Amino acid sequence: MRDLVIGMAGSGGDGIVSAGESLIAACAAEGYHALMTKSFGSQIRGGESSCRVRLGVAPVLNPGGALDVAVALNWDDFLKFGSELPVAGNTVVVYDSATGIAPDALPLEGIDPAAVFAVPIGEMARKSAGTEKAKNTVVLGLLAGWFGIARDGILRGIRKKLAKKGPEVLAANERAFQSGIDYAAAHPLDSPRTIDRPGQATKKLIVDGNDICAAAAIFSGCDFFGGYPITPSTEVMQLLGRELWKYGGAVLQAEDEIAGIGSALGASFAGKKAMTATSGPGMSLKTEILGLASIAELPLVLVDVQRGGPSTGMPTKSEQGDLFQAVFSANGDVIRPVLAPTCVADTFAVTVEAFNLAERYQTPVVVLSDQEIAQRKEVIDPIDTSRFTIVERVRPRGAELEPYVRFRQTESGVSPLSHPGMKGGNYLAAGIEHNERGEPTAGGAAHAKMMEKRFRKFAPLKTREDLFRIEGDPNARLALVSWGSTAGVCREALRLARADGLSVKLLVPWLLYPVADGVYRSFFASVKGGLVVEQSYQGQLYRLLKMFTDVPAGVQPLCRAGANPFRPTEIAAALRDIALSLQRQAGDARQPQE
Amino acid sequence: MTSLCTLTAKDFKSDLKPIWCPGCGDFGVVQAIYRALAAIGRPPHQIAFVSGIGCSSRIPGYTTAYGFNSVHGRALPIAQGIKIANPELLVLAAGGDGDGFSIGGGHVPHAIRRNVDLAYIVMDNQIYGLTKGQLSPTSPRGLRTVSSAFGSLENPVNPLSYVLAYGAPFVAQGTPADLPALAAVIEQAIRYPGFAFVNVQSPCVTYGEEEQQIKAHKARMKPLESLGHDPSDLVNAFRLAQDYGTELYTGVLYRNPDPSPTLDSLMRERQQKMSEGALPRERILELFAQS
Repeated sequence: MRDLVIGMAGSGGDGIVSAGESLIAACAAEGYHALMTKSFGSQIRGGESSCRVRLGVAPVLNPGGALDVAVALNWDDFLKFGSELPVAGNTVVVYDSATGIAPDALPLEGIDPAAVFAVPIGEMARKSAGTEKAKNTVVLGLLAGWFGIARDGILRGIRKKLAKKGPEVLAANERAFQSGIDYAAAHPLDSPRTIDRPGQATKKLIVDGNDICAAAAIFSGCDFFGGYPITPSTEVMQLLGRELWKYGGAVLQAEDEIAGIGSALGASFAGKKAMTATSGPGMSLKTEILGLASIAELPLVLVDVQRGGPSTGMPTKSEQGDLFQAVFSANGDVIRPVLAPTCVADTFAVTVEAFNLAERYQTPVVVLSDQEIAQRKEVIDPIDTSRFTIVERVRPRGAELEPYVRFRQTESGVSPLSHPGMKGGNYLAAGIEHNERGEPTAGGAAHAKMMEKRFRKFAPLKTREDLFRIEGDPNARLALVSWGSTAGVCREALRLARADGLSVKLLVPWLLYPVADGVYRSFFASVKGGLVVEQSYQGQLYRLLKMFTDVPAGVQPLCRAGANPFRPTEIAAALRDIALSLQRQAGDARQPQE
Repeated sequence: MTSLCTLTAKDFKSDLKPIWCPGCGDFGVVQAIYRALAAIGRPPHQIAFVSGIGCSSRIPGYTTAYGFNSVHGRALPIAQGIKIANPELLVLAAGGDGDGFSIGGGHVPHAIRRNVDLAYIVMDNQIYGLTKGQLSPTSPRGLRTVSSAFGSLENPVNPLSYVLAYGAPFVAQGTPADLPALAAVIEQAIRYPGFAFVNVQSPCVTYGEEEQQIKAHKARMKPLESLGHDPSDLVNAFRLAQDYGTELYTGVLYRNPDPSPTLDSLMRERQQKMSEGALPRERILELFAQS
């Protein structure tokens, strides 16, 4: 097997998430790639918690489909996660026999799993370690025993983690781990499932989307963060709150979302690279200052980690419903770049790009992450930071300061930008429309010129083909378009479909707005049918594309509300249906004409 | 830091012609600011002057400092970001009573508790002038305006007790009816190390009440100094603040003689303390290297 998908659920305190973390750390040390998502009930403490871990010898693109292994410490908790932990015919189900449910009476409607093990997990923990707290360690032993994964690595991890807790706790946990291994040896799987061994183990990073986003900000030269806690973006502020001081920067946890972005804009006006992060409800509040940043032409990076639903919605669930908000919110005719990462690793590159665009075009830039990318941990290869360039804003020099004309009409539309402290660069930044010198005006002619300038400066952005990823068969008649975390599912769907004999290609934009008309036109040139796949009820990217470029009639939205993740197999199946209908149409067209 | 050549009030006056109505109190306020800045002597390029929206919020444009005429109610968050980003700058924030105590009122307590070193000047005219004469948060109860045809049913905000209650370390009041005194309190506010608040009773000549005009101010105003008020006496400052709306006190109402450190200085200390041993920015991803 090239990969393995494990889903585990229990009550808060069972240490399910901690077991998942131990597992991916051990697998990383052995050279595996991995991806782990966590999901919790809405309780602050306790309640149900779960995690999905997907291990593979190649980079893992998404959390995967049905589980290969399902671990239920408690069935009530497990079932609350529904479609997030889908059990299928090939799933090996492991559960604590203390739940009192017979193996042939599992509460799984209409599913007959490949193998079912009722294991006295709690009892094994008590006997080996003297406490039920070691249940998660028993589970790790079971997984290592049955699936041949990272046995030594897990043991090393246990030793490191528990070293401080003294030799007794350590020995107890080692016994718990061994008891799991012994149980697996005594109760072998009917058909052994062992995952392929990775090649030479290389150094890996273990990181989630929010943390790597914050790291990218530091790398880009960010010196100020202003924000307000909001799920699921808060970790961006938290990491910067630990690290940014070391670089002479500062973090302000503001009194509200508006003050968060306001202080960041102030820092940018003062000449520093600045950032704020939020989620949908915070985006709503930040809108007025986004508009101000656009008209005052000040660089600013805003990260919106999307969550589910309008208003408070579902704070801990993923959705791609903020695209319209990112693109269109703010009054007046306004344009701002919107970028989206598709996985943890490219959150780094996209965030660096966001800082670069903000500085180059003196504009707010929105990074549209989503809960899944932001909070899932991935085991990834190190990123070579030397391949990135860092852009700084153009500052006025020499004659440009005699006198300084802040909003001078230049060929590119970008005017040199001074900052307080720079002698001769004094000007008035304003949310009020202004002339080239920055003086307030209500004149139609000056307004028209400034509007044109503020749009014109983004023209080069639409030719940035490097902000798009295209894979598959270049001349395919069948196509997928997808963005954000859903793109990772489509990458795998593309492979499945091609392995199944379909000729298909995939376009993944990092740059969502402005819509790069030319890139889509040339991609769609060969296309007769396909899907725009996204996790929003309306299919917001599909509609945005229809607005700004020509989408072939056969390309349709495949979209649904958040917290119902797409699976690669269903997308591949949908592609096959479209391929068949294209074939029928082609056949009809070839019917002899009278 | 201070310029060697002497600066005069003229050096801070920009070429922009104010949009204010003839006789508006804000003309006096901007004059007082020119004088205070000249006395302090920092060159205009080292000054950042931030405002929100309203008649009075046009004021940064009438100075030669770096100005930021932002959006309604948001002068303080922006000003704090500027000061934190570059503590070397002299940072001023200004706006009207609506900007500061209605739409932006939520920012005031937090600017105070953070104690970022900046001066905040509110031009309080008890009316919304730019939108042509509606109720403001400091309008007296019973006031008839275009938005309160039958008289206001609400009690006004008291800006002085508001900021005192949240712990503002420097609180003063002035009126353009006494320009030298106004320039003096603004200068003291700027020099004060921490959040300093000046409420300026700045008459609206078009929509304001008779007793709120310059002429009336001249008759009504009472310098706190002449009342024998000790600015370090917080309890007496609170007592005097209760007379807002009936008495027009001018001068320094409260000045904390033992100011706590400013946020910007604390942040700088932290930056210096933590600068050693940081990973170079280009190696930041090593934070996540598996061990």
